[in-house]
Amino acid sequence: MSDLLTLSNVETYYGPVMAIRGVSMTVRTGDVTCLLGANGAGKTTVLKTISGAMEPQKGEILFNGESLKGLAPDVIARRGIAHVPEGREVFAFLSVEDNLKMGAYSRRDSRVASDLALVYDYFPVLRDKRRQSAALLSGGQQQMLAIGRALMLRPQLMLLDEPSLGLSPKLVAEIADIIVRLNQEQGVTVLLVEQNAAMALSRSDFGYVLENGRIVMEDKAAVLADAPDVQEFYLGMKDDGVRGGRRWKKRKTWR
Amino acid sequence: MTDAAANALMIDGEKTVSALFARRVEEDAGKVALREKDFGVWNEYSWADWGERASAVAHGLWHLGLQRGEVCSVAAEVCKEWLFADLGIITAGAVTNGVYPTDASNQVEYLINDSGSTFYFAENEEQLDKVLEVRANTPSLRYIIIFDMEGLRHLDDPMCLSFDALLELGRRHREQAPSMWQESIDQASPDDLMILTYTSGTTGPPKGAMISQRNMLFMMANLTDCLGFDEHDEQLGFLPIAHVAGRMFYVFSLIASRSLVNLIEDPETAMSDLQEVAPSVHFAVPRVWEKQYSMIAIKLKEGTAFGRWAFARALRSGEAIARHALAGERAGLLARARHLLWDKLVLRNVRILLGINSARWLSTAAAPIAPDLIAWYWALGRPMYEIYGQTECTGIATANRPGATRLGSIGKACMETDVVLSEAGEILIRGPGVIAGYWNKPEKTAETIRDGWLHTGDVGRVDEDGYLTIVDRMKDIIITAGGKNITPSEIENQLKFSPFVSDAVVVGDRRPYLTCLVMIDLDNVTKFAQDNNVPFTNYTSLCHAEAVVELIGQEVEAVNSRFARVETVKKFRLIDQLLDAEDEELTPTMKLKRKVVNEKYAELIEAMYR
Repeated sequence: MSDLLTLSNVETYYGPVMAIRGVSMTVRTGDVTCLLGANGAGKTTVLKTISGAMEPQKGEILFNGESLKGLAPDVIARRGIAHVPEGREVFAFLSVEDNLKMGAYSRRDSRVASDLALVYDYFPVLRDKRRQSAALLSGGQQQMLAIGRALMLRPQLMLLDEPSLGLSPKLVAEIADIIVRLNQEQGVTVLLVEQNAAMALSRSDFGYVLENGRIVMEDKAAVLADAPDVQEFYLGMKDDGVRGGRRWKKRKTWR
Repeated sequence: MTDAAANALMIDGEKTVSALFARRVEEDAGKVALREKDFGVWNEYSWADWGERASAVAHGLWHLGLQRGEVCSVAAEVCKEWLFADLGIITAGAVTNGVYPTDASNQVEYLINDSGSTFYFAENEEQLDKVLEVRANTPSLRYIIIFDMEGLRHLDDPMCLSFDALLELGRRHREQAPSMWQESIDQASPDDLMILTYTSGTTGPPKGAMISQRNMLFMMANLTDCLGFDEHDEQLGFLPIAHVAGRMFYVFSLIASRSLVNLIEDPETAMSDLQEVAPSVHFAVPRVWEKQYSMIAIKLKEGTAFGRWAFARALRSGEAIARHALAGERAGLLARARHLLWDKLVLRNVRILLGINSARWLSTAAAPIAPDLIAWYWALGRPMYEIYGQTECTGIATANRPGATRLGSIGKACMETDVVLSEAGEILIRGPGVIAGYWNKPEKTAETIRDGWLHTGDVGRVDEDGYLTIVDRMKDIIITAGGKNITPSEIENQLKFSPFVSDAVVVGDRRPYLTCLVMIDLDNVTKFAQDNNVPFTNYTSLCHAEAVVELIGQEVEAVNSRFARVETVKKFRLIDQLLDAEDEELTPTMKLKRKVVNEKYAELIEAMYR
C-alpha cells in the first residue's frame, strides 16, 4: 500500500506559541489512522495544518506525492481532502440537504445526485429531516451531517476531528461503525483524531500518540492498545496496586 | 592525638552530631534553618522547629517500641520531613538508612531485609505502595510512616500511620517523659552507628556503608574547612538525600555551620527554584553542571551572531582573569577594567540565568567531570571546586579549595586524612572519615578496608605539587587487544561535554579497538532534528535518523581528534530506548551503569566488532 499523506517535520504556531513541534507522520492509502492525545496536545492543529486552515512555519506535507505548501484550503479540498471539524460546524441556517450540497460545491461531475442518495443510505435520519434547518438537528445528527457533507466531496482522505465529542456511547459506536464502513465500502482513507482512545484504537489500522506537540509513539493500533503507557494514560486501565485504588501515575516512558 | 586531630573530631566542643544538633536547637532557636517551597510559597522552619519535630519523631518512635541501634529507612525526595525524621531517628540513638525514591519494590525489599529495618518512612502513596507490595517478605518491618497522606484518607492498616500522627504520639509521649530526648542525646557516643548508606555494588548486591557519629562529625569539620561555610550561607537542596553528597550538604553541613537550606518544591522545578533562590554557595553533581552548560550552548546557537560574538569575547576575558586567579595572582589593571565591562554586560546575565550569580563558590563531586567544564564556570566568574571522596570515607578525602586549586585534579588531601597511592596506583585513604565497614558483610569489609586503609578502587596519580588526579576506576581501565591501557572515563567525559550527548560508555577491553554506546540528550537532539528538518516520530526513530547518527558521529570525531590514534573510538551506536531513572541501566542520578550497559547491550556491542 502506498503513502497517501506524509507529514515531515511540520511546525505550526499560534502567534509565538509553537503548537506542533516537528511532527512527522504517514497515512497510508486505504487505512484508518488515528491520532491520539490529551487536551492541548496539538491534534486539531495537525488537522488544520493538513487542510490548509493553518499555515505551517516549517516542514512539508505531501499528498499523493505532491506538496501542499502554500495552497489555499479550498484548493486542498479540491485535491481530495475533506475536513470534518471539531464541533461539526454545520451551516445552521441552511437545510440539511443544502448542507450536503455545499459539500459538493466544488464538483462539476454528474454523480452528485447519486452521492446524495448514498449519503442518505448511510444516514437515513438525514433523509427524513432533509427539509429541516440543520440547527434543529441533535448533536449526533449534526455529526452525521458533517460527515455526510464531507463525503459529498468524494474525498480520497477524510480528516475527522473528534467525531465522538459530546455524543452518547451508543451514538459513538454507531458513528464509529459508519466511519469503518465508509473506509471499507467507499475506499475513503481516514485520519481520525480522538480523545476516545478505546474507540479510535479499536477501529484503526495504525495509530500515533501526540504529546505536547510531538509524536511520542507510533505503531499498529493493536500494538498500541497493548502498550502499558497507552493503557494507563489513554485507556484508563491500570492495576489498582496492592491497596486498591492506586492514584499516583507512573512515569511515561512511551514504550 | 595532635590538637588538630582532636579539633577535627569536635565542633564547638561537641563530639557527636546529636549533641551538636541539640546545641544548635538551643542556641539558635529563632534562626531559620530551612525553607521549603510549597505551592509556590517558601515556608520557614527555625532550628527550634526542627528540634521540636526531631524530638517528637524520637518520642513517637520510642512510643512505638524503637530501641537504640535499630535501623529506620526513609524513602523520599528531598523534603523537610526527611530532615525532621533523619535527626529524630539519630537523636533517638537509632540509625537512618536512605532509600532512593526511584528504587523499585524488589530493591526496597532487599534494602529493608539487608538493613533489618523496623520502621519505614514513605514519602507518599507511590512510595507506600512499593513497600506494601513486598511487606509479606520483610519480617523485620513493624511500622510504615507516611509523610504525605494525599489520596490516603481511607487508608486503614494497623501497620501504617501518618507522619503527623507520629508527631502527635511523640508529643504525648514527651509530656510523660520530658527529659528522655536529652538523655538519649547525652548517651550518644562517637562510635555509635548513625547512618547507613547503601552503595550500588558493581559486583554483587548493594552494601550498607556504616557511617558513625565520629565519621560524620569529622566530615562536617572537613567540609567547612575545605570550602568554607558560615551562618549566613544559603543553599538550594535539590539532590537526593539518600546520596551521601546530598546528606553532607543539605543536612549535616547546616548543623556544622548553622547555615540554611532551601528545599525545592519538586525535582522538576529545580532549575527555576535555583534561579529564584540564587544560593550563596552551591553544590551539584557533574550531570547538573553539564545540563546547565548545554542550556547556554543551545541558547547561544539560537541567538544572534552578535550575541555569540559578545559571549565568546566575554568568556575569553573571563578566562584570562580566571587563569590569573588560579595561579594566585591578579591580572593587570587594563585586563581587569576591560573584564569589568564584559562581566557587567554579558557574564553577569548568564550567571543570573543559571542561578549562580550570588554564589561565592560552586562545588562538584560524586562523578568525574571534564576539566574544561570547570574552567568554563571559572571563566563565567565563579570558582568551582572539585572534591573527591566515597561513601566509605564519608564523602570527602581530597579537595580543591580557595587558593589551592588545580583544574582537572581532585585537589590535595583533607586535614587529618592520609591519601597515598599503592604500587598499582590505587588511591588508599586513611583517617577519621573512613568507615568501620559494611553492615553485616565482614568479607566485603575485609576486601575494602585493610589495616585502616580504604582501598578506593580508583587509580590516581600525584603531581609534583601534591595535587591528586583520578585516572579512572581500576576495574574500568581498558586494556585493548593490542595491550594498550586506556582510561575510558577521560574519553567519556569529553563526549558528555557535547550538548547532544547525555552519557556514553566506552567499550574495548581485550578488543582490537574502542567502541562506544551513546545515550543522546533528548531535548537537544530533538531540537536539532526539528531545526534541521529531520523527520522522526518516537525516540527510537530519532536515534535511527541518519542525520542524528551523523551528528553524534561528528561529536565523536571531534573528541577523537584530541586523543592518540589507539585511543580513538572507531565505531559507536546509540541506545535507542528512552531510559528512565527506574531502569536498571541508570543510576538515580541518570548516569549509565557500565556493567549493566555492557551486559544489556552485549548484542549491540558485538555488532560493532563484526
